[in-house]
Amino acid sequence: MTTLLQQIANGIALGATIGLIALGYTMVYGIIQLINFAHGEVFMVGAFGGLATYRWLLPEGIRGDWYLSLPLMLLGGVVVAVTVALLMERFAYRPLRNAPRLAPLITALGVSIVLQEAIRLWFPDADAAQPFPKAFLDAQIKIGPISLRATQLLLIAVSIVLSVLLQTYVNRSKMGRAMRATAQDPDTARLMGINPNRVIVLTFAIGAALAGVAGVLYGIDITNVDNAIGFQNGIFAFTAAVLGGIGSLRGAVIGAFVIGLIKTLGGQYMPGGTQYDYVWIFVVLILVLVFRPQGLFGEAERVRA
Amino acid sequence: MTALAQDTAHPVLEARGVTMVFGGLTALNDVSLRLDRGKIVGLIGPNGAGKTTFFNCLTGLYTPTKGTVLLSGRRLAPDPSEVTIAGVARTFQNIRLFPNMTVLENVLVGRHCRMRQGPIASLLHGPSFRREENAAKQRSRELLAFVGLASAEDEIARNLPYGDQRRLEIARALATDPKVLLLDEPTAGMNPQETEAARQLIFAIRDTGVSVVVIEHDIKFIFGLCDSVSVLVQGELLVEGRPEVVRADPRVIEAYLGKPPEEIESETRGAAEQDKREKP
Amino acid sequence: MNMVSSVQTAKKLSGSLVPSPAAAKPLAVVGGVLAIVAALLPWVTFRFNDGPYPELATLQFFDAPLQVTGFRLHLLLFGVAAVAVALVPKVPGRGRVLRALGWGVFAVSLVTTVFIVGLGGGLGAATAADGASAFGGIVGVLAGLLLVLSAAATGVGEVPRWSTDVPKPVAWLALLLAFACVLYLVSLTLTAGGLGGASNPYAGPVFLAFLGMAGGLLGALNGVGLVKWISVLSERHRGFSIVVLLLCALALPLTEAGTDYWMTVATTIGVYAATAIGLNVVVGLAGLLDLGYVAFMGVGAFVGANLSGAAAAKLGITLPFPVAALVAAVIAGIIGAIVGSPTLRVRGDYLAIVTLAFGEIFTRSAQNDIGGLTGGPNAIPGIPAVSIGGTAFNQPLEVGGLELPGGVLYYFMIVLVVGAVMAIFANLKNSRIGRAWIAIREDEDAARAMGIKTGRAKILAFLTGATLAGLAGAIFAHKLGTASYDSFKFLESVTLLAAVILGGMGTIPGAVLGAALLFVLPEKLREFSDYRLLIFGLALVFIMRFRPQGLVPDRVRRAELAGETAEGKSIQQVEEALVAEQESVDHAPERDAKGDRS
Repeated sequence: MTTLLQQIANGIALGATIGLIALGYTMVYGIIQLINFAHGEVFMVGAFGGLATYRWLLPEGIRGDWYLSLPLMLLGGVVVAVTVALLMERFAYRPLRNAPRLAPLITALGVSIVLQEAIRLWFPDADAAQPFPKAFLDAQIKIGPISLRATQLLLIAVSIVLSVLLQTYVNRSKMGRAMRATAQDPDTARLMGINPNRVIVLTFAIGAALAGVAGVLYGIDITNVDNAIGFQNGIFAFTAAVLGGIGSLRGAVIGAFVIGLIKTLGGQYMPGGTQYDYVWIFVVLILVLVFRPQGLFGEAERVRA
Repeated sequence: MTALAQDTAHPVLEARGVTMVFGGLTALNDVSLRLDRGKIVGLIGPNGAGKTTFFNCLTGLYTPTKGTVLLSGRRLAPDPSEVTIAGVARTFQNIRLFPNMTVLENVLVGRHCRMRQGPIASLLHGPSFRREENAAKQRSRELLAFVGLASAEDEIARNLPYGDQRRLEIARALATDPKVLLLDEPTAGMNPQETEAARQLIFAIRDTGVSVVVIEHDIKFIFGLCDSVSVLVQGELLVEGRPEVVRADPRVIEAYLGKPPEEIESETRGAAEQDKREKP
Repeated sequence: MNMVSSVQTAKKLSGSLVPSPAAAKPLAVVGGVLAIVAALLPWVTFRFNDGPYPELATLQFFDAPLQVTGFRLHLLLFGVAAVAVALVPKVPGRGRVLRALGWGVFAVSLVTTVFIVGLGGGLGAATAADGASAFGGIVGVLAGLLLVLSAAATGVGEVPRWSTDVPKPVAWLALLLAFACVLYLVSLTLTAGGLGGASNPYAGPVFLAFLGMAGGLLGALNGVGLVKWISVLSERHRGFSIVVLLLCALALPLTEAGTDYWMTVATTIGVYAATAIGLNVVVGLAGLLDLGYVAFMGVGAFVGANLSGAAAAKLGITLPFPVAALVAAVIAGIIGAIVGSPTLRVRGDYLAIVTLAFGEIFTRSAQNDIGGLTGGPNAIPGIPAVSIGGTAFNQPLEVGGLELPGGVLYYFMIVLVVGAVMAIFANLKNSRIGRAWIAIREDEDAARAMGIKTGRAKILAFLTGATLAGLAGAIFAHKLGTASYDSFKFLESVTLLAAVILGGMGTIPGAVLGAALLFVLPEKLREFSDYRLLIFGLALVFIMRFRPQGLVPDRVRRAELAGETAEGKSIQQVEEALVAEQESVDHAPERDAKGDRS
């Protein structure tokens, strides 16, 4: 029983990370129907942005004070992630806006490889896993029989707060309305005076910012990062977004928690153990795409004729 | 064909009480249609009346919420390929050719369901394969000549002028050897000469023994073409009957904004063109 | 690829820079003469530590007039050709020829100069330093640009058509010569620069410069209409061409490339080419984007390994190789159909993701030695080499006094397999089934409305592709002697996909060329091996941006991809089809808009 509860707690913590990434997938897909395969790498780049901030920008004096260093690292991670995302939107995706859909997908694969390799080649020592600073309370917190790291709790809290904020922003603000309008019908939105490019750029930026935050917090929690964390977590996040109904913000977050649980519980209780936990996620991905492609919260697509 | 000839008891195509509901929206409500052999039936109605939805129900692209579609008295499965194999071919409102195949290849795809080659034959290209392939090519060329595209067979379909694309779509549909041909706005965007040519073409198709259903905005075109006209308004069948009866029906005039027929014609003509321009 | 992209950029720029037609001839003559001068000037101001830069680039022409070889010889010939083309009246396709020669000169000079500057530690290496001067590189780059400008001024028209109504002997002779030249070029390309590595530090640049030359040469031949003429002739004399082409391929071991090493490389290329052609059925014809395709190759490899009698294989079954390969192909095909069937409900991007997921499940399972069948991280080593009558395929061969390198039998086998796979692809493409696949790719709803059972057709595409991959996988495992999950990962799928796209989707030469480039380049560019993946990723992005139709575009694909990619139009498309396009634009707005969605 304790194991079960513990694995559930771990799953939720993992889900929190995945959720922050999944929001970026789902938003971009909602607006321009692009599976931004490279979004996982934005998360990875964000983590390295935070690491770089810590290593080279933070003065010795404040490195120990997490309440100073953590916000600055988050800022660094977000800046790097957003910059990368905007560059790739501008130079890789935008020129292909009207191309057949195969083209942007393959471009996204290319961008993904480029980002991984760029970090490996040019981030000092990053051809091996890099230790990540413990820029938060290094403590285990006991809740009943469950024991969670403080960093896991931080991830969960930040993830929930940011998702709620994002939901509110998209639903309430003027720009959020513009985003929803563009997602519904870009042509009409344009006629209504909405500049689709601005909306798309903003979407990429918000998604990247969330991924950047996730990257830094993930690094702090895991305590070491390499250039492969993006691909794997990116796939998890994509699965979450699909599971929740791609295009739906709430769906992405809920889907992420489900995925987190599948991974930890599957690793615990399914045959093959943690060696196969990855496989269960793909099985779920396939089942969802095949039998309920609109996800748990999406609407069925109508055939066009 | 002999089986068909005996089957005079049934209309060649019949829709009974077709209802189509999307979410909460009733796009079609209890629409019935009857097409007798060798006839041309017109389907008219204002924008959004559900004409194309009805076509999609007839051809199996949509599964009607209620109602059945019968071909020569036999029920049609709601599956586009089955419907086509059974003998109902269609064209699309917004032209859906295979844009990057040649004109001839487009028509050959239409022959697909009347050809027998399996994977093994396709691999080996044996004598019987070549015989069938040549026969299909010959038939396709005949059809291209029939619609007046004989000289364009090696063009890429997307490079054809608009009117030729419409004619190619018709040739492709005819290549499936249909008993019934459904034409969705065959003259949209055409000039008067092209429209007249299209009318002659439809008559010619009818004369080969194919029965035709036509959706059109151009009321004048429909009344000069059809043996019977059905009027759809907001998903419901308003009137059905011979053109002169329908033309005089006050409800039809009412539906078309309560204006005399001549104005209706110019109105709908304009609407049709606008519709074409805005089409996604 | 970079060259192609710079062509595009230059194209955009040159809109404002095109000189007047009157300047064309002088520009071409000056450019050609400069290219000749560049060939004769020294290129490096000093001797490199690793030995003289190949082809004696430090020399003055006058020191050793007979030593103008290698890239200098190429430049010399290009320069002479350019002057000749400029001065001789009535050269067909003059603009195209000049453009190709110009880009060739530019590429050769740029690669060499950049390399010299990079290795020499500064611009001084290619200009003047320590009292020595070497302006060959700068002059060469300039010559290339001048030629390109002269081409722009000449104007680039249609590729000229030559009469193809020639008597049979003439046609046969032409084809024979053409294919022999192709064989020679392939052998030169393979051996150009030699093996990369510590002992041969200049392999990369020499090879790249050679590619630049080969590209320029082919472009020029295409410009005068020769390539088109040959391709029409070969189409007309198909049987003859196939026989000759096959003989040429089988003759490769007799050329300079006839060493153990290049036989191995060529065999590997063949294996991937066969796989890429299989993938081309799925992606290029049926339009189903498969990101997990290499898994089928893996299935074939593991099945083949388990039936090979390798000591490490769990199943103790030993079958003769042809049977084992056949079984591997069949099992891979069945799995392909199984994997394909649920994906029928999924379209477009989602399909790509489902196939990716299947691929990952395969990799994970193989990595964890599922059922003891894959050996996990230990792989299945010790797969015995294929042998016929006691002759192992990896041994050298002596036939009637003719020494053939080791692995030559594997090479012969893969040539025959690739030939068979090509025939399968071509026959399927030109059949009812192939047309159905293309129709599905073009517009699935319309295809169904034509009575095509799209589900069945898609499964057949998956099955065909997977069978071919399984066969290739079995050969791969036997050739390599080992089957490891490591060879069948996601990146391999992407590489295969890139091979298909780079070469040109839906075409056979495209898949072969793409596979060849993607697997030869890393061999040649060992010193850049650390950057291999980075360059690969960038290449994917640039191809999609600037030449989505690939190097050898399918007639059909070219129209689609070039037409719909608003900014990424191919140059030919713009130039050749201006008229046709103008015509279709008048009618096209709704067609284009529709295409975006489908």
